[in-house]
Amino acid sequence: MPELDNSPTASGEVSVSSSGNQNPPPKPTAKRKRNLPGMPDPDAEVIALSPKTLLATNRFVCEICNKGFQRDQNLQLHRRGHNLPWKLRQRSGKEVKKRVYVCPEATCVHHDPSRALGDLTGIKKHFCRKHGEKKWKCHKCSKKYAVQSDYKAHSKICGTREYKCDCGTLFSRRDSFITHRAFCDALAKESTRPETQSPAKKQNQNEAVANPKFDLDPKSQAGDSSPSEAPPQAPEPAPTPAPPGPPLSQSTAVVSSSTVLPIRSSELPENPTQIVEEAPLPCGLNGSCSSSTSSGSTGSTSSSVFASLFASSTASGSLQPLQPPGFTDLIQVMAHPDHPVDLAPSSSTDPISLCLSTNHGSSIFGTAGQEHRQYAPPAQPAMSATALLQKAAQMGAAATNASLFRGLGIVSSSSPSAPQDSLQWGQRQVEADNASVPAGLGLGLPCDGSSGLKELMMGTPSVFGPKQTTLDFLGLGMAAGGNPSGGLSALITSIGGGLDVAAAAAASFVGGEFASKDIGRSS
Amino acid sequence: MQSPNNNHHQQAQNSSHTSTTRSSDSGEPSAPNNKWASTLLKECAKAISDKDSTKIHHLLWMLNELASPYGDCDQKLASYFLQALFCKATESGQRCYKTLTSVAEKSNSFDSARKLILKFQEVSPWTTFGHVAANGAILEALDGEKNLHIIDISNTLCTQWPTLLESLATRTDETPHLKLTVVVTASTVKSVIKEIGQRMEKFARLMGVPFEFHVRSDYLGELTKEKLCVSEDEAIAINCIGALRRVAVEERSSVIELFRSLNPKVVTIVEEEADFSSNRDDFVKCFEECLRFYTLYFEMLEESFMPTSNERLMLERECSRSIVRVLACELEENIEGECAERREKGSQWSERMKAAFSPVGFSDDVVDDVKALLKRYRAGWGLMQGDGHEDQTGLYLTWKEEAVVWASAWK
Repeated sequence: MPELDNSPTASGEVSVSSSGNQNPPPKPTAKRKRNLPGMPDPDAEVIALSPKTLLATNRFVCEICNKGFQRDQNLQLHRRGHNLPWKLRQRSGKEVKKRVYVCPEATCVHHDPSRALGDLTGIKKHFCRKHGEKKWKCHKCSKKYAVQSDYKAHSKICGTREYKCDCGTLFSRRDSFITHRAFCDALAKESTRPETQSPAKKQNQNEAVANPKFDLDPKSQAGDSSPSEAPPQAPEPAPTPAPPGPPLSQSTAVVSSSTVLPIRSSELPENPTQIVEEAPLPCGLNGSCSSSTSSGSTGSTSSSVFASLFASSTASGSLQPLQPPGFTDLIQVMAHPDHPVDLAPSSSTDPISLCLSTNHGSSIFGTAGQEHRQYAPPAQPAMSATALLQKAAQMGAAATNASLFRGLGIVSSSSPSAPQDSLQWGQRQVEADNASVPAGLGLGLPCDGSSGLKELMMGTPSVFGPKQTTLDFLGLGMAAGGNPSGGLSALITSIGGGLDVAAAAAASFVGGEFASKDIGRSS
Repeated sequence: MQSPNNNHHQQAQNSSHTSTTRSSDSGEPSAPNNKWASTLLKECAKAISDKDSTKIHHLLWMLNELASPYGDCDQKLASYFLQALFCKATESGQRCYKTLTSVAEKSNSFDSARKLILKFQEVSPWTTFGHVAANGAILEALDGEKNLHIIDISNTLCTQWPTLLESLATRTDETPHLKLTVVVTASTVKSVIKEIGQRMEKFARLMGVPFEFHVRSDYLGELTKEKLCVSEDEAIAINCIGALRRVAVEERSSVIELFRSLNPKVVTIVEEEADFSSNRDDFVKCFEECLRFYTLYFEMLEESFMPTSNERLMLERECSRSIVRVLACELEENIEGECAERREKGSQWSERMKAAFSPVGFSDDVVDDVKALLKRYRAGWGLMQGDGHEDQTGLYLTWKEEAVVWASAWK
């Protein structure tokens, strides 16, 4: 407890609302393995500070020189310089009552004493980040922060980190990364398992909303706000939406319980690998199972999307190795015979890309649900956006596996994931219109090593950027002529790789015909 | 003028050292012997205008000897403008344009279009400048609205929207519903827009933005309020990037009137800063302006892309079509639904817009965003702010101190 002594100059507004007993553990606790942010000790004293107090930076002011300090301890040390009486607080074991802090914002989940945060710094940062003005703006990338330390941490690394898409492409700029994401086939892949329903519409949405921000900014966030509100003991990685959902089926319960844990770590990219390894394989598959069921039942739109998604995603799916390490073994087992090792490159073990995919996935699940909510299957009611992200990563892997399975002709039984996967399709078939199922499957099939290879070679420009230099002259010819479309390409090819079509027009007069005839006429 | 031999020599030298000489080229862009293409081309244009067939013949021959679409900037300019001059001289512009267009369409695919546009955005703020400025203005104008309807009349393959969706998603207040109606005016975009729509829908879902996507492929002059399906409770933004220039000059006012009738909260206009409109009856003047503009553009491409970039070549080919269209086709003939892209300068567009709208300045935040954007690209880019007087509205992207793209917002 860094600051206990907040009474003296705390500009008044401290209201100790009461203590103890009024802390009913929040409803869906049953599924939580671990303390969520803001699950204070029921005996703690609940403190409600005003926004003003929370935003005040240097509350402890020296009466001699008006210098302000954030902590009384620091002020006391300062007072020594003025030869004023000073007193450092002694650590006095039990006599200090544990205090927890609620957020003054009435609409905030941490406004409820049962979700109070455990330390003053935590609540301050929370209040600033969530409800404060983002007044710290990075001049390099225009990203804005509410908390100065977030900003400082960011500005140290801004521009030095890279964003990595699931497809392996690296970006140094956030906006180009976002744009790329929207257009990358890797996204199409993820959306193959589209909307999971989240009954907790509003909250989920808000969190998903908060999340894409640093989802998209995974690496660079490592040092700053990604552990947003996740200081030592009262982390608030992504407050789990409270509303209890419909009764959970067994499988979904597995999902949520097993993912809650990884969530946290996914917010702290320092140790993402660990996250993934914690994620049990069947869990992701279960998730994918339920979600695609729901997407099937959402009917018209998603079924067509589904098919096309699969079409475009397969190539990347098979080869953009977004599999969290947990799956890597499996994948490798499967992939090795047919895929050269180098096809499963860095990103499969790369924490960054992992985070990316997770996060994106999460917002899919967190928010997309709203349109289709009425179809909601027994989803994970209390799953935070981050959890959903995490889950999505697992599902991404599952989906990848699935297409690999199909692509390789290995169906089911060989691994635990396969039966799950076929179950998924089965369910869809029952619930959705049949047409889309074979379509999806059919399109899934062509995903084989070669198409993936092609995608790798052609699809990710900047990875190969440097190399292209040497290849490109060949590419020039191909760009025009590689496109066997009737007479024109014949024309192109007849001209030969070097000449382009524009030149072809010119070529006609190079032949000299213009000299006499055409010019003569025009003049 | 230099002797052909001399230039051949230079050409050989350049092609062997392209990568190493590139940077030094940029340091001396105005070295006299660098401008042979411009000199020859202008003379040739004048000869065509004067109908001096001996001179035309001679100059075309010489240009043909020197030009190459794979050479340095001058060689490329020579090549593409020679093509236009040749078409002009032989009155074969329309045929040539059709050929070039259909070739472009044949080789056009979602993959190639995506790769091209994203690569261009990665290396140059030419298009992203307008996106950031327009998105900033749109977000501010629609702030707090629950139902947004963006009518996107541009041919940027929706590359502008992911960042806007992300901004909407990360806003503190409730995420609004966004309806995006894309009005496609370029034939090359029509074939890929469906795929793009699917991507947008996916991405919006991912971002948690309730989203609707519609496509219209009417010619802009024939668009109506009804076709755009606007409804009363929507806050409308009209986003025009490089779209107005595709409208026939005579119809521009009526298109702006149409915009007015939609009662938008904001209209964002982004256009390239060139004037192929007021001088369209004066071949030589129009040619010179065209050459001026594309010289900047080609130099920009040369410095932005790798020397052997395929994307760069594709962008240059796009230019070659446009150049033929502007310089060598009959004035207002409408070839397969597409007009010549008669660009106008910011001041000219402002004149037109002021008939129905008043300018909205870009906020400091947006200007900061644009500045931050430009910093991330290589040197040479700058930002110039119209001071709001007379014809000076909006923001100009400058390349080597020359205004090249203009962005503005209106309400």
